[in-house]
Amino acid sequence: MRLHLRQDWASVVSAVLSPRLPGEKPMLAQFSNVLIFMLMGLLFLVFALVLWRLLRPAGTYSDVKYETYECGEEAQGSAWIQFNIRFYVVALIFIIFDVEIIFLLPWAVVFKNLGLFAFVEGLIFIAILVVGLAYVWRKGDLAWVKPEDYRAAGEK
Amino acid sequence: MDPKIIADLHKFYPEIVITGTFLLVIVADLVFGRLRRAVTFALTVLGLAAAFALTLPLFGAAPGTMFSDMVALDPMALFFKAFLILASLLVVLAAPGSRELSGSGLGEFYALLLGVTLGMILLASSTDLLMLFLSLEMVSVGSYIMVGYLRNDRQSNEASLKYLLFGAVSTGVMLYGITLLFGVTGSTKLIVIRHALAGAATPGENSLILLVSTLFILAGLGFKIAAVPFHFWCPDVYTGAPTPVTAFLSVAPKAAGFAILVRFFFTGLSQAGQGLTWITFASINWMPIVMVLSIVTMTFGNIAALRQENMKRLLAYSSIAHAGYILMGAVVLTSDGLQAVLVYLITYLFMNLGAFMIVIEIYNRTGSFELKDYRGFYRRSPFLSVSMSVFLLSLMGIPPLAGFFGKLYVFAAAVNRDLAWFAVIGALNSVVAVYYYARVMKTMVIDGGDETSPVHASWDSTALIWVMLIPTVGLMLFWDQVQKITSGSVGLFLGN
Repeated sequence: MRLHLRQDWASVVSAVLSPRLPGEKPMLAQFSNVLIFMLMGLLFLVFALVLWRLLRPAGTYSDVKYETYECGEEAQGSAWIQFNIRFYVVALIFIIFDVEIIFLLPWAVVFKNLGLFAFVEGLIFIAILVVGLAYVWRKGDLAWVKPEDYRAAGEK
Repeated sequence: MDPKIIADLHKFYPEIVITGTFLLVIVADLVFGRLRRAVTFALTVLGLAAAFALTLPLFGAAPGTMFSDMVALDPMALFFKAFLILASLLVVLAAPGSRELSGSGLGEFYALLLGVTLGMILLASSTDLLMLFLSLEMVSVGSYIMVGYLRNDRQSNEASLKYLLFGAVSTGVMLYGITLLFGVTGSTKLIVIRHALAGAATPGENSLILLVSTLFILAGLGFKIAAVPFHFWCPDVYTGAPTPVTAFLSVAPKAAGFAILVRFFFTGLSQAGQGLTWITFASINWMPIVMVLSIVTMTFGNIAALRQENMKRLLAYSSIAHAGYILMGAVVLTSDGLQAVLVYLITYLFMNLGAFMIVIEIYNRTGSFELKDYRGFYRRSPFLSVSMSVFLLSLMGIPPLAGFFGKLYVFAAAVNRDLAWFAVIGALNSVVAVYYYARVMKTMVIDGGDETSPVHASWDSTALIWVMLIPTVGLMLFWDQVQKITSGSVGLFLGN
């Protein structure tokens, strides 16, 4: 199998620079939207930094400013500690509801136009997710201390 | 509401039944107390049997696509639906008898297996790259968990993590390939992709991008079928996973991988040529790439299997080699070749699952997967030793066992396409394979072992082994039917 490299890069370049279908903007022109976004983002950042520089009082150094921000609490100890594994389980359970919202939102938006069919579809979807919720509930994963662990600790 | 979706639902019963069973099994596992083992097992078996029964009336329906060209309903898709459901059913029947799985509840195992089965049959019929990716992930994620099902077994955990890491990388690479293909052709639908490639203004247009994207997509598909060089996960995962899961992985997701490989390459990247042949496009000639992949896969698999001392590992490398033979059928680009793929998969299902059933049963009785513990097994259990020998002889391709016909069809398809050298490489490989299969037989039958206490297989395992044994030995008696089914199943929906 032979590769026509030079001719090929030419085709890549031409695909980027010239339209593939009549009336279509070339790929590069379509990317101009992205470019404008990038420029706007940069401009916004620079604008904010300059504005704050002008407005804020200068020369007020304080140690507190260099501490880790922890919602107003004073930071204690290192963050490199062993986290309770239950955090991950709770995060995973959260995904059930997260996914539910992602799919139900567009469904709710067009709900009126679709009528009964969409209603039944939505019900089936929620029912499937409820099985997931029932599963974690029954397995005791909604409680912070899992009942089985609790029992095992009590028996000892 | 779009009446097309409702109409399509009537042709979607097997999938709907599997989804329903999946949910029912989860609920039953939560609700039933002491009975849940029996109830979940019965539900799973009934659900899969019902799905299989509902697939049969669909045969003969007009080929077409469903759900806005997302999945195809054509002879090939139906064949794989029936095949994959049957494979899952056989594994479900084997699961309760396995000592490895007996320690943990099986409800979740059945639920996962049903989820993977649903993913597989969607994968086998995907005609859209997004659907392909989605169902591939559905199969993979379920498989990762099934491999790590023995929560307190470090080897099982390690296998699961390795599988996950390999899988994540290969599907990531594959997704990149899909975006490139979309960028060049402007569609994710395989049929539209073919039209875009066929309608190229100049022949050979975009060939570099197409080559890169095909290689990337091949990485994802090659991972699923465990083709070299995407096979590295395979021996470790097969060894660490519970043996019923290994048996499942070596047959069902692999077959689904072949189904989508054939569908992707034939409906997306080639067009019908003269007679019953296909031709590739000037811009992407994938035939030599997959051909090299096939040769490397079978050669590597066979050579690596020569020195294995663990039965699961040996069968893992043997399954890599078999993937190479099956690829051979796909790459010759004829209807004969496609039929050879289907024939090979049917024979492979019974002989490979059969060999694994015996490995499971021997582990149940002796607690070992090591070849050295198989020494002198003939005196301990003649039935297990003889049936193992039959499966191994079939895997070698000795006539008149089923495996011979699979190889015959594949090699014949290569010779018919004037690729005799390709068939010779395959045949030479089968000769290499004889060594390691025969070595197992020699260990079991000829070698004397220290242990001589008799081993009695349980009645359910014996029954299951017979279920595998009869088709392996007697498939040639029904060859007319096999020939008719497979030759009628090579049809792919190529668009109107």
